[in-house]
Amino acid sequence: MPNKKSLHIESSGQLCVYCGACVGICPLNCIYLDETRITFDERVCTRCEICVKACPVGAIEIG
Amino acid sequence: MEDRKTDVLVIGAGPAGSMTAKWAAKHGANVLMIEKRQEIGSPVRCGEGMSKEWLHDVGIRPGRWINVEVEGARIFAPNEKVFEINEKHAGNEVGYVVERDGFDKQLAIDAANAGVEVKLKTAAVAILKEHGRVVGAKVKEFGQTYEVRAPITVGADGFESQVGRWAGIPTNIATRDMDTCLQYRMTNVDSDLRYCDFYLGKCAPGGYVWIFPKAEGLANVGIGVQVSQVANPADARTYLDRWIDKHPGYAKGKKIDMVGGGVSISPPLKQTVGDGIMLVGDAARMIDPLTGGGIANGCIAGKICGTVAAEAVAAGDVSKEFLQKYEKGWRARIEEKLYRNWLAKEKLVTLSDETFDKVIDALQDVRLEKLSVHNILKAVRDKHPDVTREFEAFL
Ligand SMILES: Cc1cc2nc3c(=O)[nH]c(=O)nc-3n(C[C@H](O)[C@H](O)[C@H](O)COP(=O)(O)OP(=O)(O)OC[C@H]3O[C@@H](n4cnc5c(N)ncnc54)[C@H](O)[C@@H]3O)c2cc1C
Ligand code: SF4
Ligand code: SF4
Repeated sequence: MPNKKSLHIESSGQLCVYCGACVGICPLNCIYLDETRITFDERVCTRCEICVKACPVGAIEIG
Repeated sequence: MEDRKTDVLVIGAGPAGSMTAKWAAKHGANVLMIEKRQEIGSPVRCGEGMSKEWLHDVGIRPGRWINVEVEGARIFAPNEKVFEINEKHAGNEVGYVVERDGFDKQLAIDAANAGVEVKLKTAAVAILKEHGRVVGAKVKEFGQTYEVRAPITVGADGFESQVGRWAGIPTNIATRDMDTCLQYRMTNVDSDLRYCDFYLGKCAPGGYVWIFPKAEGLANVGIGVQVSQVANPADARTYLDRWIDKHPGYAKGKKIDMVGGGVSISPPLKQTVGDGIMLVGDAARMIDPLTGGGIANGCIAGKICGTVAAEAVAAGDVSKEFLQKYEKGWRARIEEKLYRNWLAKEKLVTLSDETFDKVIDALQDVRLEKLSVHNILKAVRDKHPDVTREFEAFL
């Protein structure tokens, strides 16, 4: 989807603390947390940026 | 792997899940509790403060998971004037600071000893539905996917809950109904073992900074910021670091642990059951919207949830109508307070630092044994009539 911005979750452990805050608030329920792995469904995500605000450590970037 | 059957499938082995599982098993149900982590209770996502008067009621015995028994709470205004509440007047909001992983493990042990089967590294990945009713879940255990069929499925999967939404129960929360949280365990700090401390105002927009003492010189120092008041990514961290920098007793400390997380500060959900499905704990948004505490409510509701789940299985009726018994039961115990505290929170998040200062100032004149909402408001009216207007709704 070329018109969509890209969303990047830094989930290799450099920033992400695997807290699940983004998972709980995503209105589309499209983020998954698997102990120390975060994935999100690119096709469902609307780039609403709510998860960006909810992340306590700034591990999610939309650009 | 082969598909399985059980009476009650509990998804998530936090306090709410373990309590639900234990009480369902005690009432005769076959219970399987699955947990996606490899270690129950770890990593900890909690400030570890809890009240204690409810523990006996739900059958939890004090154990080695208690770190500190505090005497009270101190509320700090933005100008750092302090108001002290002892336990009796805090409505028992404070009591213990605990080792949360030890606590969670104890509850899981209690559940296992009551006959519950526990599976680790086993995540629910989808809900099974037939004719509109939930009949179990698709799970992944050590990478192997199979189905667990159960007349009752319980979503006890915490703040990040997906089970409710998969089952079609609306549990979405608005940004103003969530706090984004960060906490450090710090050593070499000037915390006081007698108190849990709370700092209000713009140091933590829409939330507060907390200091919960773990041992001499050791404390959990954390912050919650209302998501709707977040201006920049990582604000929770920015505000917490700023608060620590400004407080020499903490700036000299050393961080030894970091915890993040989300806390719902929402009004109670309208619905927590459906045909064959029940939600409990953070998954049902049962966190107290004023204090952010969710352990007690999750355990209290868990006992009711497990009991009703077993009754439904025994009666051969797992319909939404039968499960209303749980819905009514947990509401009777905690809903009024959840709602009242949500209203209070909605007011508090709008107050300016000056108003906080004035309220805390007025509280100095209220004698502790007379601490009631009425007396607090009266004191505010007597001393700072200009801010009374803001509290008219409570009068
Ligand atoms: C930073 C922070 C500080 C807090 N401080 C306090 C405090 O001081 N006092 C207090 O009372 N409360 C506090 N809370 C709230 C408290 O932690 C929660 O209310 C409490 O943990 C709720 O228990 P629960 O059993 O509902 O959920 P949880 O304890 O979150 O347990 C849910 C479990 O489900 C598992 N799970 C999730 N999804 C799946 C799946 N798909 N399959 C299998 N398993 C799954 C998770 O791994 C987890 O183990 C705090 C929360 C945060 C984030
Ligand atoms: S941008 Fe919105 S839809 Fe996409 S993952 Fe974040 S919260 Fe979900
Ligand atoms: S909110 Fe941020 S730190 Fe927490 S799991 Fe999501 S990306 Fe990771």
